[in-house]
Order: sequence, then C-alpha cells, then structure tokens
Amino acid sequence: MPQDTIRNFSIIAHIDHGKSTLSDRLIQKCGMVTDRQFKDQLLDSMDIERERGITIKSQTICLPYKAKDGKLYSLNLVDTPGHVDFSYEVSRALSSCEGALLLIDAAQGVEAQTLANLYLAMDYDLEIIPVINKIDLPSADPESVAMQIEEDLGLEAEHIQLCSAKTGEGVDDILEAIVKYLPPPKGDADAPLQALIFDANYDSFRGTIISCRIINGRIKAGDTMLFMANKISYKVDEVGLFGLVRQPRKELRAGEVGYILAGIKTVTDTKPGDTITLKDAPASEPLPGFKEIQQVVFSSIYPISTDEYENLASAMEKLTLNDASLTYQKDSSTALGFGFRCGFLGLLHLEVIQERLEREFDIPLILTVPSVCYHFHLEDGTMKEIDNPAYFPDPSTISRTEEPFIKATIHIPERYMGSVMTLCMERRGENTHYHYPMPGRIEFTCEVPLAEVIYDFYDRLKSITQGYGSFDYKLIDYRKSDLVKLDILVNGERVDALSQLVYRANARQRGLHACERLKEEIPRQMFKIAIQGAIGGTIISRTTIAALRKDVTAKCYGGDISRKRKLLEKQKAGKKRMKTVGNVDIPQKAFLAVLKSEER
Amino acid sequence: MPPSFIKDPAGNAGDKKATIYLHIPFCKSKCHYCSFNSYAGRTNEIGDYFKALNSQMRDMAAQPWSQNRSFFSLYIGGGTPTICDSALLADLIKNCLRLFHFTDHPEITVETNPNTISTEKLYSLVQTGANRLSIGVQSFSNSLLLSLGRSHTADEAKHAFTMARQAGFTNISMDLMYGLPGQTLQEWRHSLEIATSLDPEHLSLYELMVEEGTPMAAKIKGGGAFLPGEDDVADMEELTASLLAAKGLKRYEISNFAKPVFTSQHNIHYWQNLSWIGMGAGATGSLSGIRMTNVPDPATYIENIRNKQNPYSEMECLCRQSRFRETVIMGLRMIEGIRIDDLEKRFAMGLEAYYGDTLKELTEQKLLEISNGFLRLTAAALTVANQVLARLV
Ligand SMILES: Nc1nc2c(ncn2[C@@H]2O[C@H](COP(=O)(O)OP(=O)(O)OP(=O)(O)O)[C@@H](O)[C@H]2O)c(=O)[nH]1
Ligand code: SF4
Ligand SMILES: [Mg+2]
Repeated sequence: MPQDTIRNFSIIAHIDHGKSTLSDRLIQKCGMVTDRQFKDQLLDSMDIERERGITIKSQTICLPYKAKDGKLYSLNLVDTPGHVDFSYEVSRALSSCEGALLLIDAAQGVEAQTLANLYLAMDYDLEIIPVINKIDLPSADPESVAMQIEEDLGLEAEHIQLCSAKTGEGVDDILEAIVKYLPPPKGDADAPLQALIFDANYDSFRGTIISCRIINGRIKAGDTMLFMANKISYKVDEVGLFGLVRQPRKELRAGEVGYILAGIKTVTDTKPGDTITLKDAPASEPLPGFKEIQQVVFSSIYPISTDEYENLASAMEKLTLNDASLTYQKDSSTALGFGFRCGFLGLLHLEVIQERLEREFDIPLILTVPSVCYHFHLEDGTMKEIDNPAYFPDPSTISRTEEPFIKATIHIPERYMGSVMTLCMERRGENTHYHYPMPGRIEFTCEVPLAEVIYDFYDRLKSITQGYGSFDYKLIDYRKSDLVKLDILVNGERVDALSQLVYRANARQRGLHACERLKEEIPRQMFKIAIQGAIGGTIISRTTIAALRKDVTAKCYGGDISRKRKLLEKQKAGKKRMKTVGNVDIPQKAFLAVLKSEER
Repeated sequence: MPPSFIKDPAGNAGDKKATIYLHIPFCKSKCHYCSFNSYAGRTNEIGDYFKALNSQMRDMAAQPWSQNRSFFSLYIGGGTPTICDSALLADLIKNCLRLFHFTDHPEITVETNPNTISTEKLYSLVQTGANRLSIGVQSFSNSLLLSLGRSHTADEAKHAFTMARQAGFTNISMDLMYGLPGQTLQEWRHSLEIATSLDPEHLSLYELMVEEGTPMAAKIKGGGAFLPGEDDVADMEELTASLLAAKGLKRYEISNFAKPVFTSQHNIHYWQNLSWIGMGAGATGSLSGIRMTNVPDPATYIENIRNKQNPYSEMECLCRQSRFRETVIMGLRMIEGIRIDDLEKRFAMGLEAYYGDTLKELTEQKLLEISNGFLRLTAAALTVANQVLARLV
C-alpha cells in the first residue's frame, strides 16, 4: 500500500455523540461486513461496553475505500471512548493518527469532552474535521452548532460535515473529506524501524497481541524485534492489519497501523508506549511514548476467596497490558488477606476494572472504599502521601494536611445554573466562574476537592440537569484540609476495608450515612448485626440489622424441582460473592455503596 | 414418540415404585397470581385434550420402564380438573388404572376448585376410585379472594368441602395462602380457624410467591398492592405452627400439615426425588433421574401426540452428584428428614464424606441435626430453610 493512500484517524467526541454509530456506518460503507454479521456499535466488543452502551476501549479497524478519484485507500479508523475517565484511551489512540473527526451532536452542541478531546488532538498536531452528527433529530440545530464550531472551537467552517450516523446521510461525504483533508502519514519506510506500541492484548494461544503504529521502517515475519525499553527481543511470527478479525500481511511499513505476534508469553515484557525496533538494525532512539498518567482514585482489590490471590496477580498483569492506565502494588488487610492497591482514573474506570476482572478472569472481588491521595505534613518535617486509610498517621503527629483540588468545567443550559451552583457548594466548591459560550448555555468552572467529586458527582450532575449537564476536570493543586479517619465496626469488629478518610466537619454526617447505606446493602442474616461508625475510639453513629426471620420457599412439587434447585444454586452463587467478616456476610456492593449519596 | 431411550437401571429396588401425574391445564378463569400451566376460556379444547392424554398414557404404559414398575399413586392436577365432564374424568382414571400396574390401594388424588363441582361429579369420582380431594380454597376472606382474582366466595369453598364429605371423600386437603397483599395476622387466623373447623385431614399452606409476568406482579410493581413485610409474614408462620398443632394437624413438610396417616404419599414421593411419570401439557416426569417436561401449550401438545411426535419440550439429566444434592435439598423439606442409609445406598455416596465441613458447620450452628439415622432441619432452621439448603445444593 503506497504511503500516500493511507489515512490514520480517530473519531473523537463527547460521550454519546455517536462515535461508535458513525464507525458502524463507515465500516458498512467500505463493505467490511455482511448484513448478517452486522450489529449496532460493532466495535464495542466487550460485554460491559454493549451492556452499558458506552465505549471503554479504543478500537482500531482498517477499511479499504475506493475514493471518487478512483484510487484505493486504506483507512485506519480508531473509535474512541467519550467518558472523562477514559481520556487516556483517546490520547493513546491519537498518537497513532494524523487526523481526527470531531463529532458534535446537532442537538446538544459543544460539551465538556468536546473541548477536552479537541485540545488533546491539538496537542498531537492533528488535522481536524468537525462533523455535526444526528441531523435527523427533530431538535437538531446544525446552524448554531456550526457557529459554535467556528467561534468557540476556532475551527474552519468550510470543512464542517453534516451527517446522521443513524440514517447514513452525509457519510459518503465524510469518507471523501477524510481522503481529501487528512494528510497521509509521513515516516520513512527505509529508515530503521520505529514502531509505537499503543495497545496490547493477551491471548492464551498466541501470546501478547501488540497493536502498533509503524512510524519509520518496516517489519515482517521472521524479523527479530527488540523492545527498546527493556532490551528484550523476540522473533516475529506474524504481522497484519486489523479487520473485524486479524488479517495477516507480508509486512507492515511506515504509516501503517497493525498488529505483531511473536509468541510472547511473558506478559510484562510488552509495555504500551514502548518502541519496537529491529535487533539487527536498531533505531538510534525510541519514540517519545506516552505521557505519564495520573491516577486519581485509589482502592484495594481483594479476591473474595483468599486462595485466589495468585490468580488475581496473573489477571492484573494481563489486564494492565490491555489497560496501561491502571497501576497496582501488593497490599494486605486483616479482614481481607492479600490483594492489590490500585490507582484508577476515576470511579467508572474502577467499576470497569472490577467488572473486567470478574468477567474475563472469573475472580469474584471486593474493592475497598475508594480514596484520593492526601498529603500529610508531619511534626518532624516530613511529608507523607497517603491514599490508603490504613496508613493514616497518628493524628498527634500531623502538623498540616492537604488534599487534591480539581478545576471542574461544567456545561449546562442556563436554567440549571441555580441547582448546579448548589451542588458545587455542597461539595465544598470555591472560586466559581461562568460565562455564556452561546445564548442560553453556560460554561461554569469551579474548584472542588477531588474527594468530593470522585463518587457520584457526575451522576448527580446528570440527574439535576436532566441529562443536559456535562463535566470535565483536571487536577490543579493541593490545598489545606482537615481529615479524620472514619472506621466502621460490624458486630464490634473493625472492617479495615470500610474505613475512609473524611473531612472533619462532615465526619458525623458521613458516619451516619455509611451506617445507613450498609444497612441497606447487607442482607438480614441469622443473627442481629450492629453497624457502628467510629472516629478514634468514639462511636459517632450506629444502626442495627435485625435477624433474618424467614427465608423459605413454600411450594415445591415434582414440576418445580428443577426450578427451585436453580434458585437455590443462584442463592449459593450470590453468597460466594459476599465476604465473610467475623461471621457477617458483606456483599461486594456494600464496599462502594458507603460513598454513594442518599439523594438517589 | 415415546422415550424408549430411557434405559431401566436394573437392580435398583427403591426405584421400582413409582407414581403418575396427569395434568389438566384448564381453568374457569385465570387467578391474578397464577403462573401455573393453566388456561381460561379454552374449554372447547377439552375433548381433544383428553384424547391426546389417553393416547400418551397408552404409549407410556407400553414402555418397558413402565412395565417394570408398580404404581401406588395417581394424581390428577391442574388447572382445575373438575371443570371437565364427569365422564371424561372417570374414563381417564379407569384407563390409567387399567393401563399401568397399580398396587392394591393406590392413593388417587383429584385437584379441584370451589364452584366447579357438584355432589354428582364428586360422587362419580369416588365411584371410579378417587379417594383424596385437594381443594384450592386459598382464603376464607371474600375481599382477599376477590383481590386474588379467584372465581369463588368463601361460602362456596365451605360448601365444596361439605359436598365432598357427603360424596364420600374421607381424605380431604385444602390449600390456603398467606402473605397476601392486604392480609393481616387476624385475617390469617380467621381463615385458619374456619379451615380447621371443617376438620380436613390435610392442609397445604403457601406463602404467596409473586411470579414475573402475572397481573399480581404488575400490580405490586405499579404500587397498586403491597406485600406484607418479612416480619409480618414470619408472624403468620408462627401463628400457623401453634394453631394447627393444637388441632392435631401435624406439620410433616415445610408447607404441609396432616392428621396421622393422612400425609400425601404422592408428594412424599416427590420430596424423596424418586421416579414418576408426568403426562399432559406442561407436565414433568422423572424417570430414573431423567426429567422430562411436555410442551406447555395444550394445542401443541394435542398436535404432537396426534402426529406421533415427541411431546417433550425440555429434558434434564443431572449427574449423580447433582442428583444426590438435589435429593438432599428436597428431602430436607420433610420434617422427618432423610433416611441417611437409604440415601447413601441409592447414590453409593457418603453424606459426611461428600459434604465434609459444611455439614459439620451446619450441625454446629444447630441448623441441621442427625438423629436415629435421619438428617433433618432443626425446628429453628425451618423458617430459614433456604439459608441451609443453599449451602447444600
Ligand atoms: N437520532 C440519532 N441518534 C444517533 C445518531 N448517532 C448515534 N445515535 C444514538 O446515540 C446514542 C449514542 O451513540 P454511540 O454511537 O454509542 O455514541 P458514542 O459517541 O460512541 O458514545 P461513547 O462511546 O459512550 O462515548 C445511541 O443511542 C445511538 O443510537 C444519529 O445520527 N441520529
Ligand atoms: S385455579 Fe389454580 S391453576 Fe387455575 S388459574 Fe387459579 S391458581 Fe391458576
Ligand atoms: Mg462509543
């Protein structure tokens, strides 16, 4: 494939603006799937993506496209996620592209992640084609959105494409625009190999499947490749392009995006962001790779059954290969045994990791109450960074405490201004500002402690704005705080996994709240359960769960034996998903529920 | 096509005795909570249905498996069998008794609902050999009956019972339900008192289970009805236990109470997880561990039988360990429990060896007890039986 007929581009947008649906249309237009193979959001291949209707992982596919100029082009499309927690996925996708389609919902206009993702694309110097999607909607207002694109985003109006990813209208023009306006990759196929690993996946038969963008040089089966970070080399078994399934090719060359198989069974050898070169003719230096990413939420993961620790360890290795934004290190708890302390990009990221570990590796897990990372300045002049309540220093040794603040950018229709203000104030927001990017819409900024937004800020925002609010944030600095450790006792026994660090002024109310939530989440058991919140030695809140009085199936005759047995089997499986602390069974959900707000 | 593929595992003496269940899937109207295989307004299919049912009986009776068995119970359930003509029912029973080898005094039960019977119909049933009647009463409160969508009144239920006695039934059971929306402890006491005043030999008492897809489920979901809370229902169960014990009705299974010798032989056979033949639309049978269910829709059933096609829509064959566990959880429903010796011989597996620590824990927690060679739930465990069974399943 001559380099000038290759186009590498991502589709980026705010969440739900239609990236995956547009990808579907492009794939179909290029004749990649038969009608029978087709299903909506084809590239959302993980079960959680399909169930939640959102994209979590970027997905690459190579489309053959016969353009109006008569030439056959090879289009590497990357569908990206829109949710704020996965912007790292977007930036990795962009690193393998020369251009991006920036999708904007014709009824919603520019939203928080529209801007955030546009800035990312600009960081990579990409050519951008703005696409106004969902023009089929009765509430679509492409004219004002076009104005926003010009005035707010500063993008050229002449390149704007109008389309409906749903009906397919305008999609042909988008394909032509891709060929016409996006530049072909630069790179030199005759230079020493430099291939950027932008993703990887572990396959138990073929070993690690490396997704890479060839920047310079070429690679083929039989070559000996070298990972530049750790100097480990492997003999290449197969290279190829991403179709709906892998399509082997003779070689990959500069400008192309594809995969490499080399029978790599040591999961940790491959590092996304690393550069691959050839052992015999190595490049002089690696590519810049990816920016270090900052985890913002921390929680410990424990297998419910303590003898699954080894399985969990190997699952974590494989998962971090596929999700480099996850960090982990060994951790232990008196109640839960051995596990891992993990860093996540947000709460949705955390939930996704939990679900993926359970589904892809079949390990039932407990996650401890999530926390942010605090700075404790001690009397002896040292500073400790602590993200785990278990390591909360002796309060008498603390001279000063700081917590991370973020700057939140919120886009809302004007009418929700009051309730969003109130939400931000409730969450200890400061320095609020706002302006009108277009009549009737407000862009609102506010500085808020990260701890106040990690859990359900986004859900609350969505609900008070009836789905019209959007939100983006970045860490700004650490500010003075005053924290206490809130412990939870279940039948008198402290459950370290339920401890949290809370803002002193909110402690009592948080303690009450945690007890109430646990009361809702812990099912009645054969005996009475006392739940208490404590700070230091002082009990600040308590609830009790009465003993289970009945749990019995009344009717069971010949025809229902199978069904009743299955119900009991389900009950048994449910119990396996609970952690027994002392003699109390605590369901998985309870550990995260203590942070959820009651207003739901 | 009859299930000729079912090999008869020879030499299993305990399995030589079996029972027969015949399903009549027709009702006068559909009760709001009902998820059974029953249909209202399809009485025009009854004639063809009985033909098909008789035909399935002939096929099954000719099977070597049936030939090798002696049958000690016949149960005609529904639906409401008694909305069918006396002649059809009489014919069915006679055919069945003729086609299969029955023991000398088989238990022959017919299910019925008030206001579908007359003294003549009942008398005709007695004449053909029916000796046990199970009446679906559900409640003696007219307002509750109405909210359940039952087609009869409390008085009609009492009348049905009296007629059954007059017709000669000396073994009568009634079904009652508790945990109903709007039901109070007082009402439950009232229903139980009326029921016991009629002096039945047997009572089956069921907590209402709200099944997905029923009008009752929709009503509750929509906030149009409220179920009593766990504590209220528990109170009803406590009341039941004390009230019936005083009347000489002994609890012999989680939901069943009987005077001495009037326990249901048919149902005990189910709880022992033994073999029976199930015939009719939607009926399940279990032949030497192979469980088969007929297609539920009567018209399809008739069609399949007529065309000599397989009437089964589901089949389940569990491995020995699973059947062992299933037998344990079914058997523990009986107050007497499971005879350990029989169980271990039947499956060639050791109870303690198989369950190990789980069994030990449950006995230590006083939820299970082993005495006189029986494994059973303790009195305290009966109300929370699922907590125990879910560990053994
Ligand atoms: N009416 C209409 N609906 C559309 C159009 N494009 C997408 N949708 C709908 O919008 C919703 C979101 O579409 P997706 O394609 O999943 O959006 P996405 O941008 O990939 O979302 P994330 O991956 O979660 O960021 C789906 O219900 C689509 O059916 C369109 O052109 N018209
Ligand atoms: S009488 Fe029985 S089978 Fe018939 S509809 Fe009512 S509950 Fe269902
Ligand atoms: Mg998507």
